[in-house]
Amino acid sequence: MAAEDGLRRPGWLARQGREHARVFFFSLGKLWQRPAATLLSALAIGVTLALPAALQTGVRNLEALASRWEGQVQASLFLRDSVTEAQGQALAERLRQRPGVRGVDYLSREQSLADFRALSGFGEALDQLQDNPLPAVLLLRPDPVQDRAQIARLVEELAALPEVELARLDQQWLERLQAVLALIERLILGLGLVLGLAVVVIIGNTVRLDIEARREEIEVMKLVGAPDAFIRRPFLYTGLWYGLGGALLAQLLVVAGWLALQGPAQALSGLYGSPQGLLGPSAGLLVGLQLLGPLLGLAGAWLSVSRRLGQIEPV
Amino acid sequence: MADIIHFHKVSHRYPGTGRDVLSELSFTLGEGEMAFLTGASGAGKSTLLRLVALLARAHRGQVVVNGQNLAGLSRQAIPAYRQQIGMIFQNFNLLHDRSVFDNVALPLVIRGYAWADIGRKVRAALDTVGLLGKEALLPQTLSGGEQQRVGIARAVVTRPLLLLADEPTGNLDPRMASEVMKLFQRFNEVGVSVLVATHAIDLIQGMGPRIIHLEQGRISDAQPTAASQLGAGHGR
Repeated sequence: MAAEDGLRRPGWLARQGREHARVFFFSLGKLWQRPAATLLSALAIGVTLALPAALQTGVRNLEALASRWEGQVQASLFLRDSVTEAQGQALAERLRQRPGVRGVDYLSREQSLADFRALSGFGEALDQLQDNPLPAVLLLRPDPVQDRAQIARLVEELAALPEVELARLDQQWLERLQAVLALIERLILGLGLVLGLAVVVIIGNTVRLDIEARREEIEVMKLVGAPDAFIRRPFLYTGLWYGLGGALLAQLLVVAGWLALQGPAQALSGLYGSPQGLLGPSAGLLVGLQLLGPLLGLAGAWLSVSRRLGQIEPV
Repeated sequence: MADIIHFHKVSHRYPGTGRDVLSELSFTLGEGEMAFLTGASGAGKSTLLRLVALLARAHRGQVVVNGQNLAGLSRQAIPAYRQQIGMIFQNFNLLHDRSVFDNVALPLVIRGYAWADIGRKVRAALDTVGLLGKEALLPQTLSGGEQQRVGIARAVVTRPLLLLADEPTGNLDPRMASEVMKLFQRFNEVGVSVLVATHAIDLIQGMGPRIIHLEQGRISDAQPTAASQLGAGHGR
């Protein structure tokens, strides 16, 4: 065709790269022209994304707390009354050598009684008794790097020792906490899915309004022979920008919330004797938000633009 | 001479109307030919141009443009087809949020040409229509005649095989209208086929190109009536 004379057409890749660079700045410029509306839309998306992210960070802190408590789990080995103090001490020494055991304390029957007397307030009642009813106890602290199943197995083995009358691992409440946390995590996942869908709808609707506002422009584009991909591209980028901006705002909100709660949380944990700060949002969460936001934006824009584009025809 | 446009017994009606806008219309425009399309409002001029530009499809009959039977073109093929045609409108159809330069560059940007070439071609097209100094302005700051020349520059910047113009002078004063018509003739002289639908009979009589006169969707042998003669008839 004579039309092509004197015009160079770069290779496909170069054309695509250049066209995307052009639309990149063009779509950004369009949003920049109405900063208030853009910011409000991005904020709506940001808040929607921040909610599950903040909950996720909360659960992360509870899990950290639970695992700290798990480090303080101890097993009580109640020794038979026939075991003498020397034998008890020797057993404690033997157990200290076992792998998976961090420490063992021997508590003689007398010590147990003294402790009980001091802590329970039943001192006078105890004086009435002829015999000391309390057994000697080995307080065993398992190595915290092991998981719960390993610890349970260790305690089972120790329960089979001839000197041991009864072995008890006090961790039922911890298991319950773990179960509750697993449930909450699942709930957050579900909530995240629903809110992710909401983000797709919000962005889809914003892009739809944008399409309506630029209806004439689309008609002119079609008149001069622009393919659908060419017309669609700026709108897809708009969705991408909204998603990206929303994700950034969500990150800001979560980090700001974390910093705001840091002081009170430290004060609270200080009251429990171990001043521990709150854990911030995990790197995985932040990166995930930054990836997910633009993807949701793209999806919303795509749904909107492919639905509307076919309906707009020049007249 | 090969035909750039070939209509064979083409009929068209708009949905909901019981009347054919075009009925069994047959005509040809030769390659490199220029012709004017005249007729009263509703005679089918715009519809004819719309069929050529694939803004509508003929209900019956064949429309062949540049050897392509338009009935066989899929929806996906329409953009590439329209890129072969330059179109000019009564209401200019410019993008008001972009500069004159960007408006004229649009068809070239769509085709993905090199930036440097685009700049050169756009300035050449603006030079042709006499708007070289105004490339940075927004269309709304221009007069109607200037806006129409921007539209013309956009239509010819790709050096199309065929130029279609629908009432290009409808919103222009007589002097600008005459300049625009002369511009079309200059493009025709360098080999572009041109079809212009117009009411401006005074302007085109004696210009040279063939006049295709439509009456109620058919080609008529009658000569179009100029506005000036209508006025004279009234005075009599």
